Amino acid sequence: MKRYQYLLKKVAWSFFTILFVLVLNFLLFRVLPGDPARAGVRDPRLKKEAIEAIRVRFGLDKPVINCFETLNPIKVGSCTVNPLDTQFFIYVRNLLQGEMGISFHSNRPVADILTERLWNTILLIGAGQILAILLGVVFGILAAWKARTAIDYTALLSSLLAWSLPTFWLGIILLFWGSSHGLPIGGKATPGTSTLPLLQQWGDVVRHMFLPTLTYTIVYMGEYMLIMRSSLLDVLAEDYILTAKAKGLNTFQILKDHALKNAMLPLVTVIAINLGFTVAGALQIEAVFSWPGLGGAIYEAVVRRDFPVLQGAFLLIAVSVIIANLIADLTYSYLDPRVQSE
Amino acid sequence: MFLKKSVTLTFVLVTILSLALSACGGTAKQPVTLRIGWAGSPDTLNPGTAVLAEAWSIFELVYDSMYDLQLDGSYTLDLADSVTTSADGLVWTYKIHDGIKFHDGTPLTAEDVAFSYNFYKDNVDFPYMNPYTSYFDTVEATGNNEVVITLTEPIPNIDYQLVFLYVLPKHIWEGVNPTEFENVEMIGSGPFKMVEYKQNEFVHLAANKDYFRTPPVIDEAIFQTFENQDALVQAIKTGQVDLITEMPNTAVATLRNEPNIAVVTGAPFAPEVTDIILNQCSQESCPVDAGGVCSGHPALQDRNVRLALAHATDKQKIIDVVLLGLGTPGLTLIPDGLGMWYNNALQDYEYNIPQANQILDSAGYKDANGDGIRDMPDGSRPLTFRLNWPSDSINAPRTAELLSETWGQIGVSLQMQAVDPDALTAQCCPAFDFDIMIWGWGSDPDPNLLLGVMTTDQIPTGSSETGYSNPQYDALYNQQATELDKDQRKALVWQMQQIVHDDVVYIIPFYPQATQAYRTDRFTGWITDKPKVALEDVTSLVVVKPVK
Repeated sequence: MKRYQYLLKKVAWSFFTILFVLVLNFLLFRVLPGDPARAGVRDPRLKKEAIEAIRVRFGLDKPVINCFETLNPIKVGSCTVNPLDTQFFIYVRNLLQGEMGISFHSNRPVADILTERLWNTILLIGAGQILAILLGVVFGILAAWKARTAIDYTALLSSLLAWSLPTFWLGIILLFWGSSHGLPIGGKATPGTSTLPLLQQWGDVVRHMFLPTLTYTIVYMGEYMLIMRSSLLDVLAEDYILTAKAKGLNTFQILKDHALKNAMLPLVTVIAINLGFTVAGALQIEAVFSWPGLGGAIYEAVVRRDFPVLQGAFLLIAVSVIIANLIADLTYSYLDPRVQSE
Repeated sequence: MFLKKSVTLTFVLVTILSLALSACGGTAKQPVTLRIGWAGSPDTLNPGTAVLAEAWSIFELVYDSMYDLQLDGSYTLDLADSVTTSADGLVWTYKIHDGIKFHDGTPLTAEDVAFSYNFYKDNVDFPYMNPYTSYFDTVEATGNNEVVITLTEPIPNIDYQLVFLYVLPKHIWEGVNPTEFENVEMIGSGPFKMVEYKQNEFVHLAANKDYFRTPPVIDEAIFQTFENQDALVQAIKTGQVDLITEMPNTAVATLRNEPNIAVVTGAPFAPEVTDIILNQCSQESCPVDAGGVCSGHPALQDRNVRLALAHATDKQKIIDVVLLGLGTPGLTLIPDGLGMWYNNALQDYEYNIPQANQILDSAGYKDANGDGIRDMPDGSRPLTFRLNWPSDSINAPRTAELLSETWGQIGVSLQMQAVDPDALTAQCCPAFDFDIMIWGWGSDPDPNLLLGVMTTDQIPTGSSETGYSNPQYDALYNQQATELDKDQRKALVWQMQQIVHDDVVYIIPFYPQATQAYRTDRFTGWITDKPKVALEDVTSLVVVKPVK
């Protein structure tokens, strides 16, 4: 019974957070300075009628919301306009219909752009995360198990080093190294391979993924390893581990059956948070290796004041962070039943 | 349990990797493919709504227009065999070449040309294409494969008005939504045809071997996007691409020392100007109705101050430090890349600090309170100027530092700040809420656009950045806009440059050069001996052939 209440509470909270983000998202970008109808085109040939026509096409001629024409600069307008004819409610209505709008910049549907980029991001960051988690956990266990030995110190030192490396710097170094070993350094696939058999296409993508994934793995592996090691060391110092030892269990059994489950809690938190932000992409890695992911799309959209893309992308990020946290909460209640009763 | 999983995963990874390696070895005969690395990507393939220069590079290869723009700035007829003009200069009749075909096999006729021109004219929200049609009264196709353009007034540069108006196939564009049509199949009639386009990844083109003029020698051309300039340089070093269209100036020296790589520099295809904008808008000329604030420092309205600043600007040092030498000293808004229109007879203001000091002394700008900064002759305020630049500019911060160094020596102090480009636009014009800005222009092949920026008419529209107003200059501008004789128009254009240079409307530190590099062991035949450098232009891409 308690478990369901706990679940329900968490889901309800997530729902309200998303609603809040929806509103914030809309207002945030309208407060930015700059006219999206002109961003990127500073040209005397651009006629007044053209700018006006572009505004009408993107619905920017409508008041932002009742009582406000624009938010930057703040221009007060009529409060009696039909609310359904304001930018805010058109945005909400479109979202309810699953419609994210058309990009101001490329005139393509936002949903198409985001889907395309999202898959690229999930592919890259997903692979990087899985590798980083696996290696981090394995090395973390190894280091904690062999605490205060040469193995521990080597693992500790290299993890600290990896964790503190600036991502873009490591990326550039790997880019130089990889390119002189024949690895591709830009994009997701070799242009012109889309007619090849599927297997060869995948092979090509994997080759392109190699360097960015490696960069990502190295940077995140260090973090996971450090957390895993210290959390496992804490658990290993507990009395019940001593009891287990006294019962004559071997080290592997102690780790597997007694220590790991408890030691995983802090790691689950960090993984959940990182996974949520996965969707935002790893802008630095994407920029170094020209990976066409979401991070780059968001950066471009900010520069061009491409509101529909920004709104869509931020909504996507918010939803995935919230869902990842929800999953983390639920995982806690499984790993540590005490969590529900709080 | 973790160990078991990771073993499985390792196995999967090893399998995938071995697949990846096996993918390298192909046996089929490969087409001759030229790989071009660049830092951008088209925003859209729809010529109506496109804004970015990368889109234009692709249009130039896939579409044809009435004229071709050569690398020396001249125009040659492309789609038409001949052109005749009525005596009053209003009616232009073009005879379209017979037998041209679109990439899908349909013939290109005068019908398609007239349709395209009217299409661009009818859609006011096409930011670039529509303005090129502003002088069109009517465009009609007659039998006999002729297009008749009737203008509203005679203009001297119809070649320039038509050169970017790409001819679209009527049977495809008729009835589409003009702005939302993505044009992914991109049926044109040019020397290259579209194979595949992935935004921000690549543009894959194939040669149109049936092209009615010289068809390309190569089979395919691929433009690949590298978001990072270091990666771009590394890609040509390691041979992943055969040509790069841009590079950071810091990479030029390294690439020059590489075997098998040639670096070429010159005026860019769209010539560029970096300018120091001096706000000369006074309270009297302030465009209040258009949102003018006009908070500019009054000293900048005095030619003596502007002249002193010009004399205190060490252009060569700026070029050497900021551009590592890859630029030419600037004179006016009309860059040297504009060929015959560029007034190369102008004598620039010499870098001479004592002379600059002397100009300010005799104009009455004395340091009244001894703080090292000169004051207005009436002592009302010091010569402290706000200096702003767009935050996305790579060159502006160092240019600003050098300016504050030399201008400091003539008793001028600067408050320097980078500003978000959009916010800067809002401050700039027609608000005139600034003192000095470092910014720039990309020029059209015709001088009309940039000359217009300095006319009085443009003060309220937001195109005039300086608020400069000179009736004599305005009159000359209108005169050159209707002067049909090329040489006489050139004389007028040169005279206008003389006037704005004398009045120190802008200080132009430099015209940046384009730097490109190609691999000498892959393709040969690049056009590098022209004033402008654009190896990705159709002029090079149709003639380059693989090295044996």
